Amino acid sequence: MSDTPTRDEDQLLPDGDPIEQPSEDTPARRYTDEQKYQVFNKEFMPHIDSMYNFAFRLTMDEDDANDLVQDTYLKAFRFISSFEQGTNAKAWLFRILKNSFINDYRKKSKEPAKVDYQDVETTYNSEDAESEHTVDLRAESVSDLIGDEVANALNALPVDFRTVIILCDIEGFTYEEMAKILDIPIGTVRSRLHRARNLLKEKLRDYASSMGYKEENEE
Amino acid sequence: MQTSLPSSSSSELKPEMKHNCSHQADCLKMIQLILDGEATEQQLAKLQANLESCKPCIEMYHLEKEVKELLTKRMEKRCCPEQLVATIKSRILSFS
Repeated sequence: MSDTPTRDEDQLLPDGDPIEQPSEDTPARRYTDEQKYQVFNKEFMPHIDSMYNFAFRLTMDEDDANDLVQDTYLKAFRFISSFEQGTNAKAWLFRILKNSFINDYRKKSKEPAKVDYQDVETTYNSEDAESEHTVDLRAESVSDLIGDEVANALNALPVDFRTVIILCDIEGFTYEEMAKILDIPIGTVRSRLHRARNLLKEKLRDYASSMGYKEENEE
Repeated sequence: MQTSLPSSSSSELKPEMKHNCSHQADCLKMIQLILDGEATEQQLAKLQANLESCKPCIEMYHLEKEVKELLTKRMEKRCCPEQLVATIKSRILSFS
């Protein structure tokens, strides 16, 4: 993407902590105030609905989503000199939002018990073993589920798994973009997504069977 | 990448249709790569072949596609409240 081979694209993305140390190979772009507003309005603001949706799906709360989006945009403006025009603004913003969520929001979360840590731990510990099972579910069994049921199933997943599904399936990021947003290798993106989908299918199966969408009811 | 693949048609089951797949977990991973638009030509060709001859793969393909569509099409997209847009814009202006 970049035509300056000496520059590592990763360095263009600020970390969650507001530490920017422009070095020789990452010259901070010196935007005038006018240019800053222009970049902000033209490159950042068009993604605000996606950003809000992401924040809402992460926090599952409107007020928290509001705070998270506002913090993210203010941070983005403050560190605008580390954004290079013409590069992927959406991925850049999503990365800041994700880091803000981890650093700020999750720490002060009122309900840490929302996540079943036991569940997360068990799942992570088996990450190397890879899930070789497939979920016994048919497409027809879930095709009648409504949006709220799908959302509830998604919300029931531990946040790291929920995140990869949101980024991939809802926001349409590529694996490479997701790797940058999440600071994980692409192989981890792939395996986490795979595990996330297995978990999601289990939740969807629970919904489908509780709603009486049984295989026998086909046709 | 949008891939249109033949759907299973029970009336045209070929005699050699497999009812068991010994690499189901690997096939599932491949199917997800394909639906995510991240597969290689080789993987695409392999899936095409499997969808003509392997019943478990056909079913997995339809399920994965359905689940992805549930997420993309059926879940409500929350839009950013106007008030928040206004707040952000005014806070930015007070920065410099």
